[in-house]
Amino acid sequence: MHTVSANYYDSDQARRPLISEFSNLWGYRGLLKLLVTRDLTVRYKRSTLGMWWTLLNPLLSMSVLWIVFGQFFRFEIPGLPYVVYLLSGIVLLTFFGQAVVAAGSSIVNSSSVLSKVYVPPEVFAFSAALAAAANFVISLVPLLVIQIVVGVGIPWTVVLVPIPLLATLALVAGLGLLVASAAVFFFDVLDLTGVFIQLLTYLTPTFYPVSIVPQEFLWLIYANPLYSYLTVFRGFVYEGAFAPWWTFVVMIGTSIAVLLIGVWVFSRSWRNLVVLL
Amino acid sequence: MNAEAPIEVHNVSLAYRLSHNRAGTLKEFAVNLVKGQVQYEKLIALKDVSFTVGRGEVFSIIGPNGAGKSTMMKMVARVLPPTSGRVIVRGSVAPMIELGAGFNPELTGYENIVLYGTLLGRDPAVMRERANAIAVWAELTDFLDVPIRSYSSGMLARLGFAVATDVQPEILLVDEVLAVGDESFQRTSKLRMEEMIAQGTSVVFVSHDLATVEQIATRTLWLDKGVTKMIGEPSDVIAAYKASV
Repeated sequence: MHTVSANYYDSDQARRPLISEFSNLWGYRGLLKLLVTRDLTVRYKRSTLGMWWTLLNPLLSMSVLWIVFGQFFRFEIPGLPYVVYLLSGIVLLTFFGQAVVAAGSSIVNSSSVLSKVYVPPEVFAFSAALAAAANFVISLVPLLVIQIVVGVGIPWTVVLVPIPLLATLALVAGLGLLVASAAVFFFDVLDLTGVFIQLLTYLTPTFYPVSIVPQEFLWLIYANPLYSYLTVFRGFVYEGAFAPWWTFVVMIGTSIAVLLIGVWVFSRSWRNLVVLL
Repeated sequence: MNAEAPIEVHNVSLAYRLSHNRAGTLKEFAVNLVKGQVQYEKLIALKDVSFTVGRGEVFSIIGPNGAGKSTMMKMVARVLPPTSGRVIVRGSVAPMIELGAGFNPELTGYENIVLYGTLLGRDPAVMRERANAIAVWAELTDFLDVPIRSYSSGMLARLGFAVATDVQPEILLVDEVLAVGDESFQRTSKLRMEEMIAQGTSVVFVSHDLATVEQIATRTLWLDKGVTKMIGEPSDVIAAYKASV
């Protein structure tokens, strides 16, 4: 009896169960690491600002939003400088948006490789999501610096930030795989995804406090899973507190469910996708 | 059924659906769906193809454009899963379907050697050690730190070939790639292929160059519109093919 290895291929064994999908990925971790570094170095080589761009980009959005909503609209968060609330929302939502679009376009962008060399295609989507996560970690630096400058400080719970980070990573990888499957069939899916992410961002309390939301619309905020991710993240990064238990349930539940659905749908539709690449 | 043959292809077919009016965008698709105008065209790229390639055999595939030659190669390379039938491949595969398919123009020659080798399933750490030897063989030592967007197509072909054949594969898949590059590259690459064949590597290759096919192939498959026209001795198959054109 032959075992499945890199040197043995039987097309009848190609439809693998979900669990071996992940162990297969583990076998390609060297490639995964290489693709993430390639993603980052190519991006930094291309722009003159290099890595500084990752630091400046959220600060730039923060400055504009701070002027508009902090100064014109005079939004206030009780007991917290508005900039910290704002920037913490921006860095997490930027991570989410960048990662879904990057993972969603990764398969179409790698079509020249995927149509000629056998590589588990999921590797490209996961590497795009991981590169976005690396950018997120870098963009935490200006957030933490601002927390110190405005006197909020850095609570010990900051060491727990990897929990919402990993949950978001699973969420964006799953969503990215779903978008990637659709993007092979229809090239406008990526544009629509961008629009959809923008709308979802407005429905997430990034720059406005939940307290200004009228009672009858509160369900709209709570029904948005991103609210839970953001609340858990904010609790750890500056409040030094655990968010309500139900936000953890929503966060962990949706991240695992979306990841599994994404991997399952993608691997099921792969044979129909690859002929179109 | 030969349990030891490096490549077994049993009654393989590949069919796929293309939307009839080639919608392309989700918006158009949604509009067509409402109008009830979504139609699919079933395309058959390969139909009921079977063959076996033994150890050290040089198997060639010929046929007119659009016959399914490259599709057949991609199935053996594990890229395309068959719609029906079964493909079994035993041994390490060096796919030279398009040399340097994983190259990134922004990265240097050295970085691309590591990346391409890893895409072909090798360990990045091993590739870093092998990079210099590969560059020597490809005669690109002086250009290793230059982004490969400034390489000529001949240089890219040499680099791709050198990486793909760095370890001797048990199975080599060649899809007309050796037609690129200058004469000296064609000579050295052909020599390297002959060395590998002599040491027991099995080869599957696609070519329009019937003279080469007759010279080096041990068996030939003639495909036309995805269907096997003939399979057997290269000279017989080529004679029949020439008579048909």
